Amino acid sequence: MFEKLTRVTDVKHEIGDMAVVYRYTAGIAGERFFLEIKENARFIGTQCVKCNVTYVPPRIYCERCFENIENAWVDVGKRGVVHTYSVAYIDENGKRLDKPIVWAFIRIANGGLIHMIDEVDPKDVKIGMVVEPAFKDKVERIGSITDIKYFKPAS
Amino acid sequence: MLEVAIIGVGWAGSKSCTPDLSFQEMVYEAAVKAYADANVNPQVDVDAFISADEDYWAGYSIFEEYVPDQLGAVLKPTWHITGDGLHALINAYMMIRSNLFEVVVVESHSKASDILSYAGIIQHATDPVYVKPLGGHPFYIAGLEMRRYLYETGVSEEQCAQVVVKNKRNAIFNPNAAYPAELTVEDVLNSPYVFSPLKALEVSSTAEGAIVMVLASGDVARRLTDVPIWVRGVGWAIDTPNLDGRDWGRAVYVEVAADMAYKMAGITNPRRQIHVAEVDDKFSYKELQHVEALRLCTRGEAGELLEAGSFYVNGELPVNPSGGCLGVGNLLEACGLSRALEVVLQLRGQAQGRQVEDAKVGVAQTWRGIPTTSGAVVVLSTEG
Repeated sequence: MFEKLTRVTDVKHEIGDMAVVYRYTAGIAGERFFLEIKENARFIGTQCVKCNVTYVPPRIYCERCFENIENAWVDVGKRGVVHTYSVAYIDENGKRLDKPIVWAFIRIANGGLIHMIDEVDPKDVKIGMVVEPAFKDKVERIGSITDIKYFKPAS
Repeated sequence: MLEVAIIGVGWAGSKSCTPDLSFQEMVYEAAVKAYADANVNPQVDVDAFISADEDYWAGYSIFEEYVPDQLGAVLKPTWHITGDGLHALINAYMMIRSNLFEVVVVESHSKASDILSYAGIIQHATDPVYVKPLGGHPFYIAGLEMRRYLYETGVSEEQCAQVVVKNKRNAIFNPNAAYPAELTVEDVLNSPYVFSPLKALEVSSTAEGAIVMVLASGDVARRLTDVPIWVRGVGWAIDTPNLDGRDWGRAVYVEVAADMAYKMAGITNPRRQIHVAEVDDKFSYKELQHVEALRLCTRGEAGELLEAGSFYVNGELPVNPSGGCLGVGNLLEACGLSRALEVVLQLRGQAQGRQVEDAKVGVAQTWRGIPTTSGAVVVLSTEG
């Protein structure tokens, strides 16, 4: 029956999809983290004194000792350090990107953020490089991780 | 102590694509083979069934509805877990150890070519508040891991490329592998960067297939088969899901899972006591990282041992003689059973052109892929 089949789409199949839309609650910790970004263009974390760990993004509980740390807010400044990075050459559809994207995990306190790095030649990005966020203008900020356009080498 | 053995295995695939078969038909083929191998009738002799899959891969909401019929499990105790097939195998082990069940069947499969939004599903698995809004193909997370792993251990890009060469070559001798190839390290290094330092040929391609295994208590196993493969230890763990809290250079989830399984199995010196290892290699560097996490060598040593030939089929510690995910194909949640299947065949002496000599104890390890830190380890042995 399928001997002469040369295309997968020639066999009987149905195309099915489903629009799935969710609303993800940032929570107490996330709300405050993003409010600080929106209003003051700075990062805050929560600190577990017992474990000597500062969470960025903040949590209301310590995932190491499970203590409640929702009142232990600390300012962690703006700068971070490139802990690891990768240059992406393809997009989510598998297409080659015209301009490769430098992704990085940027260590801030004992946590950090995933983000893009720009304003630097990808070849010059190094582990250990100190970077700072390029925020959108205040009027454009909505309280989201995308309020940060990217990180760039610290001035 | 109650003993548990694998008494039957069956599989369909692995193939890059199976346009003519529905997933039910693939599972049916694997199930019929497994029941014949175990000498059991599913409707009479099997006490319970477990299937492992992820609804998003399956493309069905509440996928457990669709598990029973192709396994001969209609109106029998059946459940479905969201996880890797190795997690299902561990569940079957616990059910039999509980002494409430004597024969339990596990199943996992992949119908990857039916998934038209593969990267989208993985992207949907990243944190929806802190990561997903940034967009991008989520395999950049593998690039981040690989960079840090190489930085911390001194393992080289050439050594990672050699994992691809070895595994795709091993797959040539595995009739169940979808992606066999004779490559050179240069071929791999010359393939384009996708998520640097990760190159195109270092990413396993998805494949299709189904694997079914029959597990039984010691008494039943000895009655039904001359070649029971004993489950000696099981372990599993998940690290934090938060990308800000995990260890980027180490597979800590496998270290923890391995310690649990080894303790149960009485393994104190894995490098000496384990004769064959099937480990997750969804990306080249993962094989080396996982071999180290399984304590089959010291941290940072895996690259050199690979270059010295230790991990080849005739080496001191063969790793992925099946071809791994790179050679057999990435079977999604069936990857773990694919690893375990090869260990079973090796310990039975049925691995034909890729048989490891005198393999009596083997380890199978899995990882659920980007962006997870979910791993499982099972120790198998010819000795009860």
